Amino acid sequence: MSLNKNKILIYFFFFCLQAIFGQEKEEAVKDSISPQQLEEVIITGTRTQRQLSSLPLPASIISKKKIQQIGAIRLNKVLEEQTGIVLVADESGFEGIQIQGLESEYILILIDGVPLPRGGNAGNFDLKRIAIGNIKQVEIVKGASSSLYGSEALGGVVNIITEVPKTIKPSGNVSYRIGTFTQQDFNINVSQKFKKVSYSLFSNRFSSKGYDLNPEDNFGPTVNPFENYTFGSKLYVTLSKNIDVASSIRTFNEYLDRTVFVNNTNFGVNGRTKEWLSHTRVNHKIGLNLKAEYEFYVTRFKAIEEVNAPQNIADLTNSNFNNFIARPEIRSTYTLNNSRFTTGVGYKYNQLKRTNIDTPKSFNSQYIYAQYDTNLLGFLNVIVGGRFDNHSEYNYQLSPKIALRYKLTKSLAFKGSVGTGFRAPNFRQLFLDFTNTSVGYTVLGYNVAENKLQDLQDLGEIDRVTVSKEILDKNLKAETSISYNAGFTFHTKALKTEINFFRNDIKNLIDTQIIARKTNGQNVFSYKNFDEIYTTGFEVNGSYNITKNFTASGGYQLLYAFNKENQERIKNKEVFARDAITKKTVAVTKSKYFGLVNRSRHNANIKLFYDWRKAKANFNLRVLYRSKYAQFDTNGNNLIDDYDTSFVNGFYTLNTAITKTFFNDFNLQVGANNLLDYTANLLPTLPGIQTYIKLNYKF
Amino acid sequence: MKKLLILCIALNLSLLTSCEEDDKANVNEEQTLVDTPDNKEEVSETNGVQLINKEIINIPAPQTGGRGVPIGGEFTKFDFETGIVTTSETDWDIAFRGTTIALNGGEVTGTNDEPARNGNVEVSVVNGTFESVKSTKDLKFEKDGNGAFGIPTGSNNGWYNYNPATNIILAIPGKIFIFKTRKGNYVKVEFLSYYQDQDNTKEGRFYSFNYVLNQKIGSTSLAK
Repeated sequence: MSLNKNKILIYFFFFCLQAIFGQEKEEAVKDSISPQQLEEVIITGTRTQRQLSSLPLPASIISKKKIQQIGAIRLNKVLEEQTGIVLVADESGFEGIQIQGLESEYILILIDGVPLPRGGNAGNFDLKRIAIGNIKQVEIVKGASSSLYGSEALGGVVNIITEVPKTIKPSGNVSYRIGTFTQQDFNINVSQKFKKVSYSLFSNRFSSKGYDLNPEDNFGPTVNPFENYTFGSKLYVTLSKNIDVASSIRTFNEYLDRTVFVNNTNFGVNGRTKEWLSHTRVNHKIGLNLKAEYEFYVTRFKAIEEVNAPQNIADLTNSNFNNFIARPEIRSTYTLNNSRFTTGVGYKYNQLKRTNIDTPKSFNSQYIYAQYDTNLLGFLNVIVGGRFDNHSEYNYQLSPKIALRYKLTKSLAFKGSVGTGFRAPNFRQLFLDFTNTSVGYTVLGYNVAENKLQDLQDLGEIDRVTVSKEILDKNLKAETSISYNAGFTFHTKALKTEINFFRNDIKNLIDTQIIARKTNGQNVFSYKNFDEIYTTGFEVNGSYNITKNFTASGGYQLLYAFNKENQERIKNKEVFARDAITKKTVAVTKSKYFGLVNRSRHNANIKLFYDWRKAKANFNLRVLYRSKYAQFDTNGNNLIDDYDTSFVNGFYTLNTAITKTFFNDFNLQVGANNLLDYTANLLPTLPGIQTYIKLNYKF
Repeated sequence: MKKLLILCIALNLSLLTSCEEDDKANVNEEQTLVDTPDNKEEVSETNGVQLINKEIINIPAPQTGGRGVPIGGEFTKFDFETGIVTTSETDWDIAFRGTTIALNGGEVTGTNDEPARNGNVEVSVVNGTFESVKSTKDLKFEKDGNGAFGIPTGSNNGWYNYNPATNIILAIPGKIFIFKTRKGNYVKVEFLSYYQDQDNTKEGRFYSFNYVLNQKIGSTSLAK
């Protein structure tokens, strides 16, 4: 294992040397005064190039320039400063994204239009995994988008668009950044464009010594030391006037060694994550109006944990996770006058081998989608689309969507959309077979529950089955949502504002249920569709150019997120809470029901960006506010009410960064996150003020 | 407690459910079973019906086994009439071991080290605040037996709820248990805590609860 690690390190250094010295003779390209801001183009909303401002969906773009100015180096930092987006850490400390009150599992993360593997056994998509040194922009479309993207696109889609080579002279950058907790980031980018071939190379090393917020306890650091490497390469070839090919490979390797404290002894656990993604797309102009894209995408995500312990230490076992996805897809777009007709057909193979799932399991799904995007009468844009997903393990899904934009005046427009989203049951929910060796409980995936339960019964481990057989005979359904968005946009040259009201109704949420009781007193769990939740509220965004060099922006989201069944139970006066101080039991009234965990009622931000051209410097200040939220139930009624004691009070985070350009090609950036030094026991992801300094050489 | 919590997080990488009923397992098994002097008692009398209101604190309920090993150990027996823990084989109403509560009524359920049943204690559950339960009329009562306890075991089934996120066992608020004692008196009980001194950060397997006992045999009233 350490050999492998060294190999990668050596490769990395060679790569760096090559990049630095290989380009020595090249004359630095002068960065001319920033070009006139072009109309921003977004691809995520329709899978075709669309002007952001004319899209009838709630969408936004974060540009490379903004990302660099705020000193973000991983995707989590980019997203957390956006209005209506909240990052929530799970038990492993992975920060997942929450959009419109829907959590990480319901948000699809794409890179150049193809899904990044979710990774890991459970919990959040770890956004920290994604290096963003080579990207052009991050696109966010809110609301359900399963009509184009299928499973998991309920709350929204985040699409990372990588940079495309532009000049015949090699261009790129080398940067090094060091910050609090010895967090180091080393980045190299090279790209070049010839007449028919262009390429780009990207390389990143990221590491940290970690930190320990509770040094007096025995549980080791809050965040363990780690190092990871991301490599990306992209090749573009023009084969003929009508055909060009883009092919990319991205790899990610992470080493995270930690110690686990069991039976008063520390044991080492070596963690290793290996991920690669290969994506090839052929663009084919078939005629004047018809374009086709043939896409093939393959990815593998492997996570291994090895325990350095003598055999038979209860609880400590090696774990293994190996997910492979292959997906060919063909798309076509037919353009006629004011309309565009897009279709797509694809096949997805998804295989998982992991600890606690017997044999490798695979999903096969086929899908087809179509979308009609038309401009009527010059002021009305209508998009109608739908997707059909067939799946080997659960019922097919049909996901329609309709959206429209009505231009009321030159600067004022109405936008509205209704769409559906779904999330397929995952491998764990269908196939898991896990018994906790120390405590003795068992969790079974839905599809294997009946047989595995029989096995346990034959072994005499089952005291009594608590559900009827018929329940286990049915299919576990996909979680589905309907999402509504409506609002206005008002754009002038200096002022951009918009407001969007949203509502998401989700049903068939999958959760655990007890299916049997074991003779050892523990339970056998499986999964079940039951809860219905909704999230609703609105989002306002505004940005104003005070002067040519000074921009102020602000955003606010109001959010209500509730479980419908719990609301019904509260209405029927069936829910009680115990006051933590008086120990008296009281009925929970409607106004005392706070809603779902980790949801803040209010989120707001104010950002100031100042471009001091004379000094070749820019400066920014960003204030983020998140109102109080609760992390878990503390008083036994399984919901969050005002009597619970796990609330994190509302707090502000202040982030700032200054960048100064030297000798035309060098940038020095100094920044600080969480300048107000906000900390809370319950928030391991906010360990006080974090500062950094970064040097960037651009060529 | 926190140790276990972190352990669970670290080890049960894949799971949302963990370590149920294994909290603070290191209860000292030699704990002496004495009535805690903190227990409060109030007596009120209306229309010849005497209601005794007691707050019972820190009844230890140790168990052996768990962690994959069959659960065992003596139940801690409690007598509502005297309001104290007893070692008598016959003069008890309910008994505690871990999160399990046995009734002195019905049949043995088959678990290890179970006390013999020689009374007719029954139980019924009502949703509401403690004060709102005023009468035992129209209630349906259950006894132990048939492989099950009158108060169902398991999270969210009976008196408690286990939170996997915190690894803490909480008495479900609003679950009021009405027992008919072995003497035929009615008593309503509200469980408050499973932790020593009603403090979730301290040792588990210590019951605290409130009860109101009507000492007039057959009288169904449980409030003034």
